[in-house]
Order: sequence, then structure tokens, then C-alpha cells
Amino acid sequence: MLKKSLAFLGAAVLALSLSACAPAAVEEEAATTGGLIAIITVDQANPFWQAEAETAKAEAEALGYTTTVADHKNDPTAQDQLIDTAIASGAVAIILDPAGADESIGAVQKATDAGIPVFLVNAEINVSGVAKSQIVSNNAQGAAIGAEEFAKAMGQSGEYVELFGNPTDNNAGVRSEGYKSVLSQYPDMKNVGKEVANWDRAQGKDKMDSLLQAHPKIKGVIAGNDEMALGAIAALKAAGRTDVVVGGFDGNGDSAAAVKDGSMAYTVLQPIVTLAKMAIAQAHSFLTTGATGVADEKQSVDCVLVNPDNVANYTFWAIG
Amino acid sequence: MSMQLEKATTWFNSIRSKSIGQILIDGRALFALIAIIIIFASLSPNYLTVDNLLIMSKHVAINALLAIGMLLVILKGGIDLSVGSIVALSGIVAGYLIRGVQIPGTDLVAYPPLWAVVIIALAVGSFVGYLNGILITKFRVAPFIATLGMLYVARGVALLIADGKTFPKLQGDPALGNTGFRVLGQDTFLGIAPGVWFMVVVAIFTSLLLTRTAFGRRLYAVGGNERAAGLAGVPVDRIKRLVYVFSGFTAALTGIILASELTAATPQTGETAELNAIAAVVIGGAALSGGRGNIRGTILGAFVIGFLADGLVIIGVSEFWKMVIKGSVIILAVAIDQAQQRTVTAKKKDKAAAESRKTSSSRGDKTKTNA
Repeated sequence: MLKKSLAFLGAAVLALSLSACAPAAVEEEAATTGGLIAIITVDQANPFWQAEAETAKAEAEALGYTTTVADHKNDPTAQDQLIDTAIASGAVAIILDPAGADESIGAVQKATDAGIPVFLVNAEINVSGVAKSQIVSNNAQGAAIGAEEFAKAMGQSGEYVELFGNPTDNNAGVRSEGYKSVLSQYPDMKNVGKEVANWDRAQGKDKMDSLLQAHPKIKGVIAGNDEMALGAIAALKAAGRTDVVVGGFDGNGDSAAAVKDGSMAYTVLQPIVTLAKMAIAQAHSFLTTGATGVADEKQSVDCVLVNPDNVANYTFWAIG
Repeated sequence: MSMQLEKATTWFNSIRSKSIGQILIDGRALFALIAIIIIFASLSPNYLTVDNLLIMSKHVAINALLAIGMLLVILKGGIDLSVGSIVALSGIVAGYLIRGVQIPGTDLVAYPPLWAVVIIALAVGSFVGYLNGILITKFRVAPFIATLGMLYVARGVALLIADGKTFPKLQGDPALGNTGFRVLGQDTFLGIAPGVWFMVVVAIFTSLLLTRTAFGRRLYAVGGNERAAGLAGVPVDRIKRLVYVFSGFTAALTGIILASELTAATPQTGETAELNAIAAVVIGGAALSGGRGNIRGTILGAFVIGFLADGLVIIGVSEFWKMVIKGSVIILAVAIDQAQQRTVTAKKKDKAAAESRKTSSSRGDKTKTNA
């Protein structure tokens, strides 16, 4: 009896959630004659990459293309397979957020050899002349403006800890180096602990719990992305610490809300929506005119600081 | 048939009456824990403080709850790889309900009260466990495969419900009457986090279940020798389904606690949590082949992993070394376990051989006298 009612309850919840998702599935059938653009991103479970994929998809479909969206989860093998699939399904262009600067060269080369132009978004590869465009946000510049704001919020002195992203992701190192190069110029600021939290909110919270135990005197936490920063805020709240400066990176909606309510000092907005729009525009230009319309293959777009002064202007991954 | 039941019971009693080997196995996890505490306490003054012990216990509780569910599955000789995904799914279901459910066909949004949210989230986790059980008993899918499949399905459904996003700000709204979610993960009682209390309650309940009920005896019997237990009239399939439901339930409880601690539900929560749970069970002296293991060992195993992981953070060891050290501790613990098992089995064999010699020789004597 209990088992049956449990089963029914579970089925009802599942049915409810599935029906809630149904309208989204219908949208994808807007078939047109523009051809297929394959969008390959990292992980749509992360709001950052989700914004990237959704923007690219919406822009491409507005121009009359059909789209497929897939995740490679930073796995070069999975990426290679997705490129094969895109080639096999006759894509006219590929929008790719590459899984590694060296690892992705072969996959991009393969698509190019098959006559399919590849446009890279958000991360680059270590060769030129293979992809048509490489459009990235300037992580080093973003880290520098973030670290400057962090130093300002901490009054340029005191102990702080750092939460580091996934060590196999190039951007984790770039951001950490950027933080270090700025913060090492302040002799009164001291990094007393650096922990890997893999871009993840729950891990950010657990690591922060322990870092607070190890270094009770800290005055700041600088995180490699917003999710880890939001986890750190949860840990600080649980410990009753409101005096600790928290800095994030990415500029997602949750972190903008945290900047608004004062629990986060600032975040650095990556213009991911701009990047995705640029990639589709250049792909469209290339497919219609034979040229991307941009002089340089490697294009770098600056990040924008989001702090209490301008957070009121924040909209979906952009400062209006 | 009754003889076989008797056999199973005697065999079970031999497990219960603690042999020297059993004490050593329990002791091993305890010794490891004591060693870890001594090492880290000598390396950092911030390790062995009341505050830090409370924080570490809070982290341990999450893994321990999963490990208790996992222990029952492993005792039965199975494995449950889907618990990490169930953690995410139940947390997301709770988050989804707290944020309000749009009633189809209307503009109305329903905000279920907290107790309903918790019951539905627990029911969803238990239901996924039940599905695992059905796959394994009715469709005869190997537990490894069935729960591996469910690992993807449950995680995928969690991502679908959340549309890949996080449900933030789950504190509820007094105007909607759905506040109080923080009680499950944040409001401490006697200074101790709710997760730890849940761990204590579930551990005591399960321990009694295993040692004091027919269900417990039958579970050990199924894990020890499934065929013999079946012939002895133990309802093997029902026992199997129940342990997967229980494992799903503890995973769901864990998911709710985690979502409450973060005041947010993310669909990525609990990735690879199943592996930590299995490690805790194995360090606690359970045999992956089934039939051997107990709650005390499993809880100790969870403490070993948790106190080690947090200690490495406190003294600031690099992430890559952390992985190497954690893996080595798991392997070392199980290697010692295997060595001990061999000596115990060898001793038992010697004893049995000696006894059978004794019986046969005394019988021989008897025959002689009769003649």
C-alpha cells in the first residue's frame, strides 16, 4: 500500500516536471533553409555556458539556421566525437567552446578539412589559421580589475584565501595568476590558503568551512568563479561571519543578486552573451560573403566589473 | 528446509558474537581515525578544536548517511551507483516545490508547505530506489548496470527539472507559509548541525534494524548465500527491493540537508558521492561480496574519510596530493582488511579441521568399544 502510493507520488512528480519542460521541446522544430549550425559548449548545467549556448542558438535561429547544442564537459574525446557528428550531419558551421588549447587543435583541423568553418567562443586554441575566428573574453584583464576591487574592499590589508577552479581548465590558472600579479603588489595583503573547489558551489562551501577553521583571522575570499564564491558566502553565513569580503568572477544572475544584497563585494562580468552573438554574426557573414568581416582571427573582449555602484543596471549577463 | 534456516541463523549468530577478527576489523578503522586525528592535530593547532570537530562532523554526516544506505545494499551483495544523482534529484525537487509549482492551465502557483516538500522529495528518492529494485529483481539487470543507468537517468531528470540552473534562495516566504527549510541543514541543536543529528538517528535505527529484526537477519543471510537463504524461505526479492528503497531514501534525505545547508539546490550536487559512500563502507570492514559489515564500521569509515579530507584542507596540502593520499588510505585500509580476513579464515579452517579429526577419531573409538 505504502509502496504503491509512493510510486504513484513519484510518478506524478515526474510527470509534472516533464510536462513543464514540454514547451521548450516544441521550439526546436523551427526548420528553415539556412542549414545546420552545430553549437558545442562545455556544460549546460552551468549557467555561464548555458547562457553561451542559448544566445548562440537564439541568434542563429533568428537568422534562419537550424541548430544542435551539445556539451563536451571539457573532455577532448567527447569533443572529437561531437565534431565527427557535426561533420556527418552536414553542418554548415560549428560554434565551439574548445576543451583545451592544445587538445582541441586536431578536432578543429578535422572540421576545417571537411570544409566546415569553425568559430571558437570563450576559449582559444594554440594555433592560428585553422579556426575562422577565436573570440574570447579577456580573463587576465578581468582578473586584474577583480583583484583591484578586492584590494579596495579589503582596505589593502589583511589575510585572505583563494578558491581555485578546476585545475585542468586553463582559465582557472589564468585568473589565479591575474589575482596574484595584482595582489602581490600590496605588501599588507597575505594569501594564507588556496583551495581547489572545481568551480562548484557545494565544494566552495565545504572548503570555506575548513578554511575558516584553519585561518580564523581572514578578512577576504577571492574566488575563481561565482559558484564557488556563492558557496563561500553560505559557509560564512553559517559561521555568522559578515565581516569577510567575497569576490567572484563570471557575473551570473545569482551573484548579481548577492552583490545587490551586500553579501558579495563584486563580481567580474564575462561578456559571454556578446561573445556568442559575435560568433554567430561572423559565422553568418562568412557563410554569406566568404569572409568573417573582422580583421583579426583572435579577438579579445574586455570583462566588466559589477559592484554595488552599477549592479542596478545588471541584466542577463550584461551591464545595461 | 528448516535445517537450512537453522544453518543461516547459526551462521548469522557467529557474525554477531564478536570474534577476535571482527574486533580487529572494527578496530582498524578506529585506529586509522585516531592516527589521522593525532597527525593533523600535531600539524595544525586549528584541527583539534571544538569548532572544527563540529564542522568536520557536519561534512562527515553527509557521507555517512549515504554510506548507511550503501551498507545495506552492499550487505545484500549489491551496489548502488545512483545515490549521488538521487542526492541532486531530491534537492532539486525540494527546490522546485519551494519556488512554487505552476498549476497547468491556470495562472495559479502552488506553494506546498514545508512538510509536504520534504515528504515529496523523500518519496521521489525512495521511488528511484524502488525502480532500481524492480530493475534488479524483476528484470534481472545486474545491480552495477541498473544503478549505473539510474545514475544518468536521475541526474538527467534533475537537470531537466532545473533546466540546468540552480534554484537559489530557498529560505521560503512567510507570506506563502513555506518557510523553515533552514531547520533541516542550518539550525543547530545543542551546537550540533542537523545533518549530524540525522546521521545519529538513522544510524541507531539502522543498527537496530540489522541486529534486532528478522529483516536484518534475512539481509545478512541473503548477502551470505542468496541461494541458501532463498531455499530457506527468505523472500529474497522483497529484501533486495527494500534495501534499494532505503538507499534511495537516505540519499534523498542527504539531498534535502545539502540543499538546506546551501539554501540553494544545484543539479550538479553529489557528483561522485556514491564513490565516497562505497569507500566509507569498505573502510568500515564490509565485504563487497555481501554478508559482512556493520553500521559502527561504516560510520567510522565515513569519519576516516571526512577527517582526512578536511585535515588536508586545514594544513593546506595541494589538491593533487590530496587525491593521491585519499586513494592510498582507501587501498591500504582494504588491503589490511583482506590480510586479516585471510588469517581469520585460516584459523577457522584449522579449528574446523581439528574438530573434524576429533569427531572422527572419537567415533572410531566408539566403534571399537562396540566391537
